[in-house]
Amino acid sequence: MSDDHGHHPAEPSAVERRVTAIESLLVEKGLITSDVVDAVIETFEHDLGPLNGAKVVARAWVDDDYRARLLADGTAAIGELGFGGAEGEHLTVLENTGTVHNLVVCTLCSCYPWPVLGLPPRWYKDAAYRARAVREPRKVLAEFGTTLPDGVEVAVWDSSAEVRYMVLPLRPEGTAGLDEDELVPLVTRDHMIGTVR
Amino acid sequence: MDGIHDMGGMHGFGPVEVEPDEPVFHEPWEGRVFGLSLVAGAGGLTRGSGRPRIEAMPPAEYLAASHYERWAHSLETGLIETGTLTRAEIDARAAGGGTTPTRSEATSPDVVALVSTFLNGPQPTSGTAAAGRFAPGDRVTVRRMAPARHHRCPRYLRGVTGTVTSVPGAWPHPGEKEPEPIYTVRFANADLWGADAEPGSLHIDLWERYLE
Repeated sequence: MSDDHGHHPAEPSAVERRVTAIESLLVEKGLITSDVVDAVIETFEHDLGPLNGAKVVARAWVDDDYRARLLADGTAAIGELGFGGAEGEHLTVLENTGTVHNLVVCTLCSCYPWPVLGLPPRWYKDAAYRARAVREPRKVLAEFGTTLPDGVEVAVWDSSAEVRYMVLPLRPEGTAGLDEDELVPLVTRDHMIGTVR
Repeated sequence: MDGIHDMGGMHGFGPVEVEPDEPVFHEPWEGRVFGLSLVAGAGGLTRGSGRPRIEAMPPAEYLAASHYERWAHSLETGLIETGTLTRAEIDARAAGGGTTPTRSEATSPDVVALVSTFLNGPQPTSGTAAAGRFAPGDRVTVRRMAPARHHRCPRYLRGVTGTVTSVPGAWPHPGEKEPEPIYTVRFANADLWGADAEPGSLHIDLWERYLE
């Protein structure tokens, strides 16, 4: 971590001081060690992110058997690629088709498939997206620059319980000549949330 | 509880604001509070999910807080709840104003390995087989209710009828020990939002107790 983003306030905020106080007290009481907290942060900064999900999508685009397994049991098929863990204990993959476009939201908090997408972006956790994605998904999609062709229905998934969802986007036209590794960079986080088709 | 966190369908929050090239954590303390929350939960220093503690925030505070400020609230109240820390000692320490936490000399390689497996190691698909009251194709209506305790049934569904499309399995409802069937239910947008609704459907997983 660094302060290179340039947003760090000159005066520490109240929450920053309280979180620091809590960590110091827990360490000094011998209840935790610093390296474990570091390990969690490093895992999310370096190991877990949308690249994992992109590899799953690219595999499904080139391997029909894998795609069938992925849609039947997402957790197991994603596990085949070595991905899985907390907030991915039961993963369901939603297939976009010529007539259905899937969009994932968590209206109650921030449920998100960590093993394949990492931690959610801020907008996913903000009130505007949580409030609107269920009521006016097409307007929300339009704000992401996504306009759906006529005849495509939006299916919104409010992930509120135990299953975590990711979208399997359509393979882009004109990519027949690309192999799996070349397809991976075409897949973005927003494709797999569904805000981009 | 039917709190401010239950935002589905509300008006007035404006457009979705996307930050390009967003970092995983915007400030070091965000990473620390996230890591501390997971470690404290796994080590039994806090009890259960942090969601009920976030939902218990006064609504105006919840709205004013960032995501990780909510997590900080949950961590602090969770540690106080279990007697691990007192508010007075946190207040006293925070008044010192430091932003560099004490580093432990000790390390816990075994726990680090467990964390790695917990976050980044494939596990068998969760959920047990469900033999419940409903089956795919059944029409179900979300109960009208006003539960004060923690639950996962958004208000915008109450009293609305939909169709069970699948049964992913059974899991304990928050606060319970025995698994209870969960159903994936499809609702027509017009049934949720009225005649002016956008065409399309809403899909959500609901514990059996929410349905009739």
